[in-house]
Amino acid sequence: MKRNYLVRVLTRARTRTQTSPFARSLCSSTSPPSGADVALKNVTKTNFEPALAELRRHIREADFVSIDLEMTGVTSAPWRESFEFDRLDIQYLKIKDSAEKFAVVQFGVCPFRWDSHSHSFVAHPHNFYIFPRQELPGDGSSNEFLCQTSSLEFLAKYQFDFNACIYEGISYLSRSQEDEALRRLDSVYKDEFSESFSYLRNGTQLVRMADILFAERMKNIVSVWRAGLLRESRGAEFQGCLNDMNQKFQSTFFQMRPALVVNGSSSRQLRLIKMVTEKHFKDLTYVHVTGETSSPQPLIVYTDSTTDRDLLVREVKACQRVEAEKKIKAAIGFRHVIDLLSSERKLIVGHNCFLDLAHVYSKFVGPLPLTAEEFVSSLQTYFPHIIDTKVLLNLDDVLFSIMRKGSTSLSKAFSLLCPPIAPYGTSNGLADKPRVKVEVEVDDQRFSNWNSGSKHEAGYDAFMTGCVFSQACLHLGIDFNSHAPLLNLLHNEKLQKYINYLYLSWVNGDLIDLRTGKSATESLGSTSVKRRKFVFSNMILLWGLLPNLKARDIRDCFCKVFGTSSITSIYHLDDTSAFVQFSKPELVSDFLELKDKLKRDNDPISVLHPLSKILEGGRVRAGSYEMYKEICSSSLSEMLFADQAEAVGINWKAIEVEKQEGNNFGKECDINAFSVCQDEKKTTPGSGMDDSESSCGFPTDELLDSLYSSEAQACFSCIGRIATNSIDATGKM
Amino acid sequence: MLYKRFLCTQTAVRHRHSNQWPVKQVEKSNFSEALAEIKAYIANSDFVAVSLQKTGGHSAPWQKILPIDTAETAYIKAKHAAMRFQILQFSVCPFSVKASKLIAHPYNFHLFPRDELKIGMPSYSFSCQSSYLTSMAREGFDFNACIYNGISYLSRAQESAAKFQIGHLSPSSSTVGSLSAHSVADSLFSERIKSRVKSWINARKVSNKTEDALISTLRRLVSGSEVYGSRPSLTIDVCSERQVQLALEALKEFIDIVPLQVPVKGGGVQGVRVVLTSSEEDKNLLEKEIQDKEQEQRKVVRGFREVIDLISASQKPVVAHNSLNDFAFIHSKFLAPLPLTMDEFRSTLLSVFPHILDVNHLMKEIGAFEKMSNMPAAISYLDKRSFAPINMEISNRETDKVNIHGHNVLKVCQLFVKLCSKLKISLEVLEGDYNQLSPSLQCHSNTFNPCSTNSRESDADDVRIWTGNTRTVSIENLVFLWGFKSGISARNLKDLLCDSHDVFSEEFDVRMIDRTCAIVVLWTPGFSERFLRIMDSGDILSGKLKNMISEGLKASGYETYRRVCELGLWKPDLGESLDQAMDETEILLEAKSPQEQSVIYWNNDEMINLDDL
Repeated sequence: MKRNYLVRVLTRARTRTQTSPFARSLCSSTSPPSGADVALKNVTKTNFEPALAELRRHIREADFVSIDLEMTGVTSAPWRESFEFDRLDIQYLKIKDSAEKFAVVQFGVCPFRWDSHSHSFVAHPHNFYIFPRQELPGDGSSNEFLCQTSSLEFLAKYQFDFNACIYEGISYLSRSQEDEALRRLDSVYKDEFSESFSYLRNGTQLVRMADILFAERMKNIVSVWRAGLLRESRGAEFQGCLNDMNQKFQSTFFQMRPALVVNGSSSRQLRLIKMVTEKHFKDLTYVHVTGETSSPQPLIVYTDSTTDRDLLVREVKACQRVEAEKKIKAAIGFRHVIDLLSSERKLIVGHNCFLDLAHVYSKFVGPLPLTAEEFVSSLQTYFPHIIDTKVLLNLDDVLFSIMRKGSTSLSKAFSLLCPPIAPYGTSNGLADKPRVKVEVEVDDQRFSNWNSGSKHEAGYDAFMTGCVFSQACLHLGIDFNSHAPLLNLLHNEKLQKYINYLYLSWVNGDLIDLRTGKSATESLGSTSVKRRKFVFSNMILLWGLLPNLKARDIRDCFCKVFGTSSITSIYHLDDTSAFVQFSKPELVSDFLELKDKLKRDNDPISVLHPLSKILEGGRVRAGSYEMYKEICSSSLSEMLFADQAEAVGINWKAIEVEKQEGNNFGKECDINAFSVCQDEKKTTPGSGMDDSESSCGFPTDELLDSLYSSEAQACFSCIGRIATNSIDATGKM
Repeated sequence: MLYKRFLCTQTAVRHRHSNQWPVKQVEKSNFSEALAEIKAYIANSDFVAVSLQKTGGHSAPWQKILPIDTAETAYIKAKHAAMRFQILQFSVCPFSVKASKLIAHPYNFHLFPRDELKIGMPSYSFSCQSSYLTSMAREGFDFNACIYNGISYLSRAQESAAKFQIGHLSPSSSTVGSLSAHSVADSLFSERIKSRVKSWINARKVSNKTEDALISTLRRLVSGSEVYGSRPSLTIDVCSERQVQLALEALKEFIDIVPLQVPVKGGGVQGVRVVLTSSEEDKNLLEKEIQDKEQEQRKVVRGFREVIDLISASQKPVVAHNSLNDFAFIHSKFLAPLPLTMDEFRSTLLSVFPHILDVNHLMKEIGAFEKMSNMPAAISYLDKRSFAPINMEISNRETDKVNIHGHNVLKVCQLFVKLCSKLKISLEVLEGDYNQLSPSLQCHSNTFNPCSTNSRESDADDVRIWTGNTRTVSIENLVFLWGFKSGISARNLKDLLCDSHDVFSEEFDVRMIDRTCAIVVLWTPGFSERFLRIMDSGDILSGKLKNMISEGLKASGYETYRRVCELGLWKPDLGESLDQAMDETEILLEAKSPQEQSVIYWNNDEMINLDDL
């Protein structure tokens, strides 16, 4: 076995360097036959029904379910990436924008069940291809989604099958879309009465000669048929005669009433038939129904009284409604899986999964709420127990040390924690530690050494996440066997303190408590790198700058005007916009006033003013941090932040208002409901300054310099960086 | 994984049988060869047909180019689409008509805006409409081929912007102008360079002898020597454009070296790299190598745009089915960002493609309005009416890589030839007469507006009956109506309006644009203004209209619609957009744009009618 494993590692390592899809065939042919040649359970619309039934059983029996998503993109513009200086509410707005704009193309679901006989977990990895195909006609909305070019390239690099997704992907309807469709149905069936009556009133003029002739002929045919009906004894004779006349018309019965089928007519002709029937025959009704088994059929039905006629109309309507409802139910598609996860209330395991959950919510529940608090509280009603392996690995000291304080990316964690499963695990000091056995079951076949997934395939990523989680549980000292027959992970005290905490953004390590919607960064205390502190009310945002203006130039200008200690730090948002953090809150309004004055005066003195170097180009605008939030919350996504701000429509006029708000810092403190408040206190004039500096750990100047060099580079490589960043993000950092 | 890939190739194969015409499919791997082929075909053909497969068209029914659009609003709509959506397949078909035979050379180029140079271009992101992708799938389009192996490109504007970012070595231009007036500092700089290069060359000669590896490494470190390919090189740092000139001048006296400029990302030159060659021959070889590399680089940068440049350079007439939409895409992806106005768009486009022929426009010429948006319908329409069958000869020597999805471009060719024969326009071009379009075709070229007539024919306020159901109507006579119950039919709305007021006593028509908005044509001149005045003042006699207004009915003239397009208020429902535009117009009332063209077609069959949905 051990030798086999080594061979596998080698083949994997070799094939990974090749990009051709056929490389994988080499790999599977040379690797041992222990399940490696069994494909991952791929689910498309062709095998969705049976797969769902099977999954239902597996999820019901599962101890936890791990999930993973692949999307068509992460950020809709470079400035929408996650930055260190993004406050929690901004981070949420950026995630919301991403989840609203991009599509989910693959959904991995992997139920894990503890098998006390074999002392191992049994995993059922499923890989669902989904596609937002429009199944219900004409609600006016077009199913539109954004693709980030670099993300598609990334998916292509890992041989994502776009054809499977677009041709065979399972479509879906969110809860709110379903409600909306049912509501629309309601209004349609409520209105039909009035519609049909007004139609009767006005639709009686025939203009075209062909129409008049057709209507006349129909009138004759129908009256002959009706006359035949009334002379019941000779009905059969008539039918023969009609059939001779025209294959189009056949007598039949509809709900115990005699009826005439009018097949093979155009929609215009059907309209005429309907008109003729309503106009000339009181006891005949035109209906268009879809039978239980048959395809939709236009019928003329005989009713012997007006009450019977009303009854018929009602019956038909009810029947049509049932049909339409059935169609809506059928369009729910992949959401059944989400409903299943939600109704079973199992522990959901993800890896850095806040964005995943935002996607789940916006695609399968409804439009994302405006604030993070509302979002998480609503999310909790659907998924009450969520655990994130990235949180687990970073917050738990034991696990963090096992990870050797290094990267906690999914594939890294998998290869470190689960080497016997991981195809290219590195030999490490964990050899002596106990390991969780994971067996994989695909289509009722069980494999102990399974790995036919590939990285960044949702089903395999979900499987890896689950493996990492189970191994992490073992390291936390959870004994699976003692809990038999039922594993109760939800109420395990060792896990309890990590359940329902997620990274809102990994870049600044901000944790959010799903139960309260508040920041949990302080209370839980991240073991990872120290983060910089920001005083958001001291920050202003400049945009429309000249692209070659460096952070250092900006600082020099500000220092000339407001003194050498006036600026704490400068961050570039993109090529033409930057944040400036002042040391004192008053300086924000001072600057905005001064800038306004310079703009107004425009005389030789103001041209020579040191600030005019920054204001060069005449398109420079400024705003407070709150304006950044406003611009982020817009649904637009222009490539450059300056263009975005202009498109959102914030200009100089808006700044007037902003200035007054800017003076009211007490109020702003309330808005910054998260950890910001603490900083606020620290920076009150006097001793406060030192505090905030010492919290950074080094003197301000040093901080500045280190920032400048990195910032200046960021400026150059801004565009190049985008691609790599977004790849990291899709690829689970 | 492997299984999946097999599956997906099969999806393409499944559709193979339905196609009888071989169309060459071009991806990254066979692009170079296809480029050479198509270059010859373009040169030898009289026309070039193009057809695009896009990821989307319009986000809401009213955002489509409608018959009620003027040239300007139609352009804004086309621009909006071109900026957001992406071209996944670009079909090019050079063709000629010889002895009433259509000789066509169709190529389907698969495109993907891959960021080949890692500079964030050509496209950070793009939108897709699932309905477009689904219908492409129905025709057997291979999305994997497109995304894995699609050809990338840069527009002309992007290429010039990228020059700074790519940062590639470029050979120093041979025309080094002699510098005027050397200062002392200049001569010091030149001398220092000369002596440094001299000692480096000498050191190279010494190091040719067998030497300890360690020592040679150290020597290389000390002298700052590097390797360029297999040849030794040395980089001289410079800090200004003048120093570059000085360095190049100083290097002239060394015959064995080739100087290269090292650019900085973001523009400018960082240094001069000196590459030592062993002989005159070797030097020529190196220069050629560099030239080839440059050529290669250019190919990578331009990618598919080479084809566009070829078509443009040939000055051949270009035939398209939906010229405004397609050329808005072509302009924004391969030339430059789209300008603000239709006039600017037209003039830049015509400087690149002097003759653009629109099949849709020709359809209008023969009076087949109702068939013009749908190509198969148009072809069968013509088949029924035209007696001259068209022989088509398709050149494709290769048998593999052909025969998959994408015959639209051939249909465009076919339709064009049929229409011309119907209109009695000769397409046979005499030898040596390439740049001159025959006068009969010339008068049909370069009309972009799919719905309104071209400016030569239009006469403001002239309402007349065209063929079929179409008559022109002045936009003065149009009123937009919204705020009624969503989902009402045009007929019902007309009933409601019918006896609500005097203005509706004369002839009027109602059409639905989408679920929330209708357009009303008041055929009697002056009635529309009267109606709008009444709506404004609230001075209404009839209780029925009053009721409707209290329930939220709103009305506005064409100007508001124009504002909607200009401001880019692309809401899903036109009613909502008009509402917002009304709010904005109140602020900017004085800024009124002059009305240039005020006649549009009133075409009953082209309107969206909810009854038919």
